Amino acid sequence: MSHAPQAAFQVSQLTKVYNRGFRKEGVRALESLDLHVAPGEIFGLLGPNGAGKTTLVKILLGLVKPSGGTATLLGHSVSDARARERVGYLPENHRFPGFLTGGEMLQLYGQLAGVSHRDRQRRVPELLDLVSMGRWRDTRIKQYSKGMMQRVGIAQAMISDPDVIFLDEPTDGVDPVGRKDIRDILLHLNGLGKTVFINSHLLSEIEQVCTRVAIMNHGRLAKEGTVSGLTSEASNYRLRCGRIPASIVSDWRLVEDAAEETDDQRTYTAAELELDRLNTLIDILRANNVMISAVERDRQSLEDYFIQVVGRESTP
Amino acid sequence: MSRVLGMVWLTFREVWAKKITLGLFVVCTILWMLMAFALNLDIVEGSLTGVRLFGQDTGAPTETRQDEAGNSVTEALSLETFVVTIQAAVAGVGYWVATLLGLFAVAALLPSVLDRGHADVLFSKPMTRLSILSGHVLGVAAVGLLLASYLFGLIFLVMSLKTGYWNFRFLLSIPIVVSMLLVMYGVMVLLAVRTGSSALCLIVTYGLIVASLVFLGHEQLRAQINPPWRSVFVGLYHILPNFAEVTEPVAKLAGIDAVTRWYPYISSLIFGACMYVLAAISLVRRDF
Ligand SMILES: Nc1ncnc2c1ncn2[C@@H]1O[C@H](COP(=O)(O)OP(=O)(O)OP(=O)(O)O)[C@@H](O)[C@H]1O
Ligand SMILES: [Mg+2]
Repeated sequence: MSHAPQAAFQVSQLTKVYNRGFRKEGVRALESLDLHVAPGEIFGLLGPNGAGKTTLVKILLGLVKPSGGTATLLGHSVSDARARERVGYLPENHRFPGFLTGGEMLQLYGQLAGVSHRDRQRRVPELLDLVSMGRWRDTRIKQYSKGMMQRVGIAQAMISDPDVIFLDEPTDGVDPVGRKDIRDILLHLNGLGKTVFINSHLLSEIEQVCTRVAIMNHGRLAKEGTVSGLTSEASNYRLRCGRIPASIVSDWRLVEDAAEETDDQRTYTAAELELDRLNTLIDILRANNVMISAVERDRQSLEDYFIQVVGRESTP
Repeated sequence: MSRVLGMVWLTFREVWAKKITLGLFVVCTILWMLMAFALNLDIVEGSLTGVRLFGQDTGAPTETRQDEAGNSVTEALSLETFVVTIQAAVAGVGYWVATLLGLFAVAALLPSVLDRGHADVLFSKPMTRLSILSGHVLGVAAVGLLLASYLFGLIFLVMSLKTGYWNFRFLLSIPIVVSMLLVMYGVMVLLAVRTGSSALCLIVTYGLIVASLVFLGHEQLRAQINPPWRSVFVGLYHILPNFAEVTEPVAKLAGIDAVTRWYPYISSLIFGACMYVLAAISLVRRDF
């Protein structure tokens, strides 16, 4: 028997308009958004500032009321507090009470999340060690550095051993070693079958851990797919070959890399070609007796792709 | 339940960390020490022979009453009457001191809970917004109860030990003080939910307390105000909390006279309940 896997969360036609007091027009943060994230995914949401990423997460966590559409989290409507029973969350720009120590903060949030006293005694030191903050357990949070706050924040999101974890800019302010640590934690969690949802600007980060990504812009989903799928849609190719006649160079908008020029070999880049167009180009070159020694796909990074999608969308 | 207790703990932890408890403790201790030094009673075999207030001998206190024939006679005040009269006055003063101090101590608590960045984490926990608010208010009530018990309890002990007369009715002030603290805190909760400003919470709450002083003379004032404004004034008198007027039931409860007018207290309780209902509605609707 096969049935569709239950979603970690699902939103359909989700719309959010923030009111800005009398007379001012509201801000349309989300526009009829549809998104489905299956259990066990590491899902990355990308988008420029103000795209509505945080708004989406806040609606899922019941912090913001949707203006239209539906949202369910682990099978419960997001307006139901039970939906958050198996969920962890690290907000962006969080500010944990500075008068608490790291250990107390985890105890408190664990208690509020319904973790039993016994489990808390065990999990708090474990989690602090996991994020390399064990030594700071009894230091007040107001004495922590930004990256340390972020680390205990991630521990906080994991305190109830959640099935779904939302991380809004988890690596913000964390040093490179710390970022690597966080990536490892995310992969470890995913290995345990947890669903991880990340909002981030750090595209390289998303690229390294996420199984699926979506790009959001102006409250809408611009693209969605696997990292490799998205970045290979149209690619740049590098051709190593003899000199190509000027008319072909201009017709195909090829760019010559002068630095790699030798007596009989040149390197050209063809931007954004689909596979069949590439083959047409090769046929033309062969018909013109151009000797080809190599064709390489220059895989686009997610960042190039992001800029391409978002840049294209914002130009009217 | 454990989750709600988590909120109570957070309130206590914050009050403790911000040294508010220490401040309240010091102020209360100074107050009762002043009481203890100021009031010096000479008690000879259970009857009062002299009272010294701040070292001044005031002689034995007397009371004047009508005898059976209708002549007024002056005789020495019984110890009980004396203690109870003093305690009634002290309860009235204590009511003001405890509430004003208490409100000051807790004004910043809710804005800190609702602070963007902290609220995000709190309200993403699997608790309803109402249970988080209830836990917070419960914590504030517990802080108020501790404060009032400490202040009133110590004064009660000092006076009772000194005079040997235990007037337990004095302790009835404690629940009234705590409930009036919560009534006024309702204003703070509503404003904190709507604006998040602790300064505004303090200004408006203390403003209402000052306004309630005006309402002390509401009967005389009413006669002097011209008709269209008179009904506005009367309306405000009934709607707003009658904080100052509640001093009378507090004092009478501890003293000899029976409380004749509970209206100011009850109308204040209703006002407080409305504040909490409005605050709850705003909180549930609000985006973080
Ligand atoms: N509480 C609020 N009240 C009014 N408008 C808001 C509120 N929160 C967000 N917005 C608006 O909604 C839009 C989306 O904001 P959101 O925080 O979701 O963006 P984001 O994608 O998370 O951006 P960033 O990458 O900068 O974090 C923005 O235009 C923002 O101004
Ligand atoms: Mg954001």
